[in-house]
Amino acid sequence: MTPLRGDGFLPGLRSRLGSGRPAVGLRRFGGLRRSRPLLAGPTEQAPKRIVSWGLASIVDAGLILGVVTMLCGLAGIGDDSVDAAVFSCVGAAGAALAAVAQRRVAPPERPGAGRVFAGIGLLWTALVLFGAVLYAGTGALARFDDALVESAAGFTTTAVTLLDVGEVSRTVLLFRSATSWVGGLMALLIGVVTLPVVLRSTALIGYTTGRRGLDLVPSAEVGTRRVLILYSGFTAACVVAYLACGLGVTDALVVGLGSASTGGFTGRVDSLAGFGSAVHAVAGVGMFLAGAGIFVVWWVVRGRVRPLWRSQELRTFLLLIAVATVAVGVHRDIGWGEAGFMAVSMMSTTGFAVADWTGWGPSATVVMLVAAGIGSMMGSPGGGMRVMRARLLMGSAGGELRRQLDPYALVLVRRDGETLSRRTLDRLGGHQIAYVVLVGVGALLLGISGVSMLGSVWGSVSAVSTVGPAMGEIGAFGQLGDLGRPARLALVPLMMGGRMSIPPLLAGVGLLLRTYQAAERRARYRMSRRSVSEESGNGDG
Amino acid sequence: MASGPEPATAASGQGVQRGQFRSATLHVVGIAVAAVSLGMLACALLEAVTSRRDTTALVVSALVAGAAGGLLWYFSQPGEIRTRQIFATVAWTWILTTAVGALPFILAGTFAAGGVDFVEQVVNSVFESASGFSASGSTVLADFETPGRGLMMYRQLTHWYGGMGVVVLAVAVLPFLGVGGLELISAEAPGTTSDRLTPRVSETARHLWLVYIGFTACAAVAFFAADGFSSLYDAVAHAFTVAATGGFSVHADSIGHYDSVAVETVAIVCMILGATSFSLHWRAVTTRRLPYYRDSEFRSYLLLLGLAATVIVILVWLDNGLPLGSSIRAAVFTVVSLGTSTGLSNATGPGSPGDYVTWVAGAQLVLLVLMVVGGCAGSTSGGIKVMRMRVLGLSMLRTVRHAQTPRAVIPIRLGRDTVNETVVSRVAGFFLLHFLLVMSGVLVVTALEGDFVSALGAVLSALGNMGPALNEAGPTSNYAVAFSQPARLVLALLMVIGRLEIFPILLTAMGVGVSWYRAAARHGRFSVRMLARRLEAIAESRSTDV
Repeated sequence: MTPLRGDGFLPGLRSRLGSGRPAVGLRRFGGLRRSRPLLAGPTEQAPKRIVSWGLASIVDAGLILGVVTMLCGLAGIGDDSVDAAVFSCVGAAGAALAAVAQRRVAPPERPGAGRVFAGIGLLWTALVLFGAVLYAGTGALARFDDALVESAAGFTTTAVTLLDVGEVSRTVLLFRSATSWVGGLMALLIGVVTLPVVLRSTALIGYTTGRRGLDLVPSAEVGTRRVLILYSGFTAACVVAYLACGLGVTDALVVGLGSASTGGFTGRVDSLAGFGSAVHAVAGVGMFLAGAGIFVVWWVVRGRVRPLWRSQELRTFLLLIAVATVAVGVHRDIGWGEAGFMAVSMMSTTGFAVADWTGWGPSATVVMLVAAGIGSMMGSPGGGMRVMRARLLMGSAGGELRRQLDPYALVLVRRDGETLSRRTLDRLGGHQIAYVVLVGVGALLLGISGVSMLGSVWGSVSAVSTVGPAMGEIGAFGQLGDLGRPARLALVPLMMGGRMSIPPLLAGVGLLLRTYQAAERRARYRMSRRSVSEESGNGDG
Repeated sequence: MASGPEPATAASGQGVQRGQFRSATLHVVGIAVAAVSLGMLACALLEAVTSRRDTTALVVSALVAGAAGGLLWYFSQPGEIRTRQIFATVAWTWILTTAVGALPFILAGTFAAGGVDFVEQVVNSVFESASGFSASGSTVLADFETPGRGLMMYRQLTHWYGGMGVVVLAVAVLPFLGVGGLELISAEAPGTTSDRLTPRVSETARHLWLVYIGFTACAAVAFFAADGFSSLYDAVAHAFTVAATGGFSVHADSIGHYDSVAVETVAIVCMILGATSFSLHWRAVTTRRLPYYRDSEFRSYLLLLGLAATVIVILVWLDNGLPLGSSIRAAVFTVVSLGTSTGLSNATGPGSPGDYVTWVAGAQLVLLVLMVVGGCAGSTSGGIKVMRMRVLGLSMLRTVRHAQTPRAVIPIRLGRDTVNETVVSRVAGFFLLHFLLVMSGVLVVTALEGDFVSALGAVLSALGNMGPALNEAGPTSNYAVAFSQPARLVLALLMVIGRLEIFPILLTAMGVGVSWYRAAARHGRFSVRMLARRLEAIAESRSTDV
């Protein structure tokens, strides 16, 4: 792997749109090639650089988001001209600002894991705020808190909404899906490129992709380029497939973006229930590939069968989908097609629905809850605990049973042939505890906000897994209208916590703890100084 | 049985002799069942001098149990105990004790009211017995007036036996069981480790039982005084319950029957003491000092209960519109009752302040968290235990710090002690298995009948040995209304699994399953291919139906 220490998560893009200045900044990127700047400044003087991993990531993401917003605005011309103009202008301005800022902001050469995680948290917050300002500013949603919820749902690829899709303009509809597409892209780049390269070890397994990551991501630059191409290509393929099934351009774009990103937004109130079986089939395949992750798409594109066959995670993912399908499909009033579709939808954490599954009976819905909790594969834009983690934890639990019988037994837990250390497994356990705690706290928050028991538990699992639809008040199609305002707001940290996959959240908590400890130390130091000065004052007197 | 009794002497043609089978499992099971039969006999005496309704059932049960236990004890002798046998011994002791403990209910026809068929009676009796011995307190009993006082006292006594543990009782009377005795206690006792109070294991077990008996006696006196010296029967019955943190009561409306602040206060104090480590009680008795506040686990436990009570008081006061005084009374009692895994209720009827299923969802969720946490390690309570939760919490915080400094070596400390990494790993493994069991339990129970919330509440309650759960399995209802027969059996199994903290039953079941599979495969009666063929046949029949 090329030693790309201190890259932002879009070094490939940076190199292509880079500043064009001589080596000073670029050398720090470990050999990015020089290229023409997107917006060449009038002078060639080296501007002062701000070194921050979080800011650099926000600038990179802002560039993509700006371009995407502008395209949404342009696509809306002829529908609602005000929305189209606002989104086009804001998008263009945002992209231009980001391009300029790229010259002034650089990531540090050796960012620590804590800074990276804190930066990720900052990035998601910035994205959500940007979306909220746009929703509220254009009047798509009257209140800022509602706009915040809608934006968070979009960027975290959670299929819950407050928008009345029949009333809003084409631009807003496309922007909503675009937010989930950008959110999915960010999740992929962070999970597949940034963390494995920056953290460079399996010490934080569960956050990284392990050895198979080297295949797709030999270096940050190449990895970023490949992920961008694969993700965009996959999205385009989905959109073309939907068009071929007879969907209109707007619907195809909205559903295509929702499928590729596991976002789950559609242009209708009843999700995909009103569409035909061909659309359902395409959505099923799209969701499966999106949930299976970018590695599987890469292998499929390259026609490589062996890694597909040898991937333990893919086998487990398929097995779990099959088991969930059978467990739901054995109910006499549920068709096998519906059962399979919903199993894939829940496992991939997309949230599309072809029927009101909340009336399917407790056992079928509990199966779906478990499927949503486990979630998708590593390297996918989906959420949940992740199949690989669940698999490793099962191995760990089996090992614990064996150790009960023989305390000195050497229990090895492997991932794709790679033996994991006990320390790694302990950290994985810590991650699982954090996940359960997040779900529990979420359920408590929702319960305190006035949501029913059923709605609280389901809503929390669904939000943390970034699925969206849930039993209870939220319902099968992710409509948040029946939810009280505090409950809606309670969903925001849950969706973001689930999207960031815990570590950044934990890093944020860690940062707060450290800040508190530092403040405490300072206060203690001041107290001791004061007492010393008082004593010396008394002595003088 | 997994331990496989071996003949101690080659005595072919001479019949079975005393100590013929060298098996610690049979020996311990024999003693435990015999001990339970003594309890039945005592309750038969009480029944004989009070209502006389169920005397025959109790006497016959005592004779059957006594004979079975005596025979097992007589014809077996404890040999060397291996690790696998320790788990098998504990698991079989509990399973057989539960089965034998159901006899009085079956013979007395306790669940025969309303023309219930025999199978359902047996299922209900086994459920009640499992709930009693595991100190859960979940009940299927709807009619509290018909059974005699002796039988009701026997129901309370099952709690008392199960609270400290029938295996601990067996070890206490087995002076020769030095090797493996502590492991037996550890396999049964709740918590991360079991303290050795004295150098001799059997002496440790005896001391634990002495403290337990003393505590029960004190609780009985306190209840008797708080109730205005009106009923010694009630006082003793509830003392059995609070000492074991069980949850059964002799009244349908539990502690709510008295509607007395004094009785509720006594119950609260006793429940908290019951959920405190018995090693601390032993230290308090022997040193004549109160070591409770110095124990960091106990402090954390009190803090947790206080925090939960405060949150619930606020929620119930604001959202349910109850007066502040009623809110405090109902919330504090319920928090302590569920937080200690006892399950007594101060609800005076459906919709009364103590009926927590009518509380706002947030308050019920706090109660669910308490059900999961349980009491202190080394106590009679259930749940994951405060000690484990602290280790888990610190482990999670360590993950937080590792996210910032991946290579840092960060030990986990409880008070002044550094926790061994093996213990941390075990605790994480235990939590994971608990989590998996909850998920599997909810899946199975919902598949067998029951809505999601009821199933989740019942499974958490069963694994945490709590008693009442949510919705129709709440404090003013019973499990017969909420769950089907098979679901009740699953919950009964979960209660025993929860009481033994998962490993003994799981490992024994796995051992039995593996040996059966091997035996069947050896005789060609079962193979994976046959299983696949069977599944194909089921699929075909289903498609034909459609």
